[in-house]
Amino acid sequence: MAIIKTQDLSKVYNPDTIPVHALRDVNISFEEGEFTAVRGPSGSGKTTLLNMLGGLDKPTGGSVWINGEDISAMKDSDRIDFRLKNIGFVFQHYNLIPVFTARENVSFIMLLQKRDKKEIQKRADELLDQVGLGERKDARPVQLSGGQQQRVAVARALASEPKFILADEPTANLDTKAAMNLLDIMERMNKEENVTFIFSTHDQRVIDRARRVVTMVDGAIHKDEVKEVTQAG
Amino acid sequence: MVTFIKLAWRNLWRNRRRTLITILAIVFAVVLAVLMKAINMGSYELMIDRMVSFSTGYVQVQDYRFDDEPSLDNTFYYDESLRNRILDSDHRIAEAAPRIETFMLAANEVATRGTMVLGVNPGLEHQFNEIKNYVSEGTFFDIGQNTAVIGRGLANRLELSVGDTLALIGQGRFGMSASGLFEISGLIDHPVIDMNNSIVYLPLDAAQELLSAEGYVTSVVVMIANERHTNAVASAIRGNLNDDELVVYTWPELLPEILDLMEMDLAVPRLLTVVLYIVIGFGFFGTILTMTMERLREFGVLLSVGMKRRYLSVVLFVETVLISSIGVAAGIILSYLILILIDPITLTGDAAQAVVDLGYDPIIPMSFAADQFYTQGLFVFFIAMVVFLFPLLKIKNLNILEAARS
Repeated sequence: MAIIKTQDLSKVYNPDTIPVHALRDVNISFEEGEFTAVRGPSGSGKTTLLNMLGGLDKPTGGSVWINGEDISAMKDSDRIDFRLKNIGFVFQHYNLIPVFTARENVSFIMLLQKRDKKEIQKRADELLDQVGLGERKDARPVQLSGGQQQRVAVARALASEPKFILADEPTANLDTKAAMNLLDIMERMNKEENVTFIFSTHDQRVIDRARRVVTMVDGAIHKDEVKEVTQAG
Repeated sequence: MVTFIKLAWRNLWRNRRRTLITILAIVFAVVLAVLMKAINMGSYELMIDRMVSFSTGYVQVQDYRFDDEPSLDNTFYYDESLRNRILDSDHRIAEAAPRIETFMLAANEVATRGTMVLGVNPGLEHQFNEIKNYVSEGTFFDIGQNTAVIGRGLANRLELSVGDTLALIGQGRFGMSASGLFEISGLIDHPVIDMNNSIVYLPLDAAQELLSAEGYVTSVVVMIANERHTNAVASAIRGNLNDDELVVYTWPELLPEILDLMEMDLAVPRLLTVVLYIVIGFGFFGTILTMTMERLREFGVLLSVGMKRRYLSVVLFVETVLISSIGVAAGIILSYLILILIDPITLTGDAAQAVVDLGYDPIIPMSFAADQFYTQGLFVFFIAMVVFLFPLLKIKNLNILEAARS
């Protein structure tokens, strides 16, 4: 069953001056447990699509449905609340809270969800152990390498137990070793815990690992390949 | 909430130098404002204390007609029962002293002067204003004695001294003629210059007899432990007396001109304080502006991951409150220490002489009134709230994507 579905999704920037069609009638759906890469050249609309799926931006046409709810019709405050409960984010620049430790960064999302303190502590520790940072829980972002920071960001995205995780160029700032390590972790989470990942990426290393690759060109879906099906075929 | 406070606190120290400079600016403003006010209010408190203790009392009971027509016809009967009713009205009342006052002519063999005759209970009066300490020659009378103590200024004018006889001529209660001879037992250097030139103290019973007003007084002045309880004590006495013939006044009601004078004199320091706080306010705004603008991306990310705008506002609010509270607290502590250190400022030279000539000690006492400390806190808090409007509006209108890209 599709957890995300778009219907004639469009986004036009500067509609009154020089219109830029970032998305053109995009119809796409994502199933639970997918490990999908959205690729395409710069300006192809992949980041705009992720922003729409994450409820960070409002479409100028069409709609985005997540678990049967039309998030494009929601009020700003409802969408923030929806994101907190349903969507995890991993950003290219990690974007951790610089004054918090790794553990506090992971805990923070759960605090916003008003979970029980003991449960928060336990889950934060578990997640940091899972991403291989059990020994660096009390380190602040500035004391961590880029790869380590991005692993904290993955743990933070997982902390809220979201329906899916949107990762915008998560490996773009990482060296090969760190990128592969990060992908290993995300792939393991996907396989073992059925966490859905959707990446926007240029990175061939991510594309190689993805089981579904969506290629976008000029704001439209150019190609949508499911590797396992292709391999089986 | 603890997490938001923790986040706010740590955010403050992300740029330690900037935060310290802002706090120092607030400390400077608070110290300067407190010192300006403490110096001004210290002098006023001394003046008020003098005027109040020698003249009106903090609270005064009168006949209801006396204020409009201060005549001996408008006296009231004072006995132990009335005294007890006044004293029992409120536990903050330290003492109540009856007085009878009128204007008479004082004469020696060759000259006559208008004087203010004040009949007092010497023991109670001394408790009230330590009057006996101002006797520079001779002694203050005791109960039962039939002598007078007069201001040195009046004594000089009439060329009288201790042991001489003072003649008093005037009108008693209900038009009775009043005249008497009193031996001068003491001269006082009265601290209120006008009174020094005109005052004649008589024992209360002697004055009552002279004025045909046995048992009657023109006022009962009430001494209280702390000036700030004036209104509360006055209300309590009003309630307890429950007498239509008697009214209870507070000293600002009896001496409004002093308050007006004070207000006029305080206008300039107040204006300076406002200017000071405007300057500090802009500095504070600069800090909060920078702290907000350099973290727009962070705000965008926090909103992206699900932090509500109002929680983000709470964090910034706490940051604003913390930085201002630290500044105010440090400013108050520092100004208090400075006040302890410099209190009182001793005048020298011509300035000292000028003050002495006015009947005051050559010092500028500092005021330690609590309100001048906490009002600075309220000012800074008000500025903080105005400054906080900027991040509040910024967060309210923040475009998440633009912020996250910034």
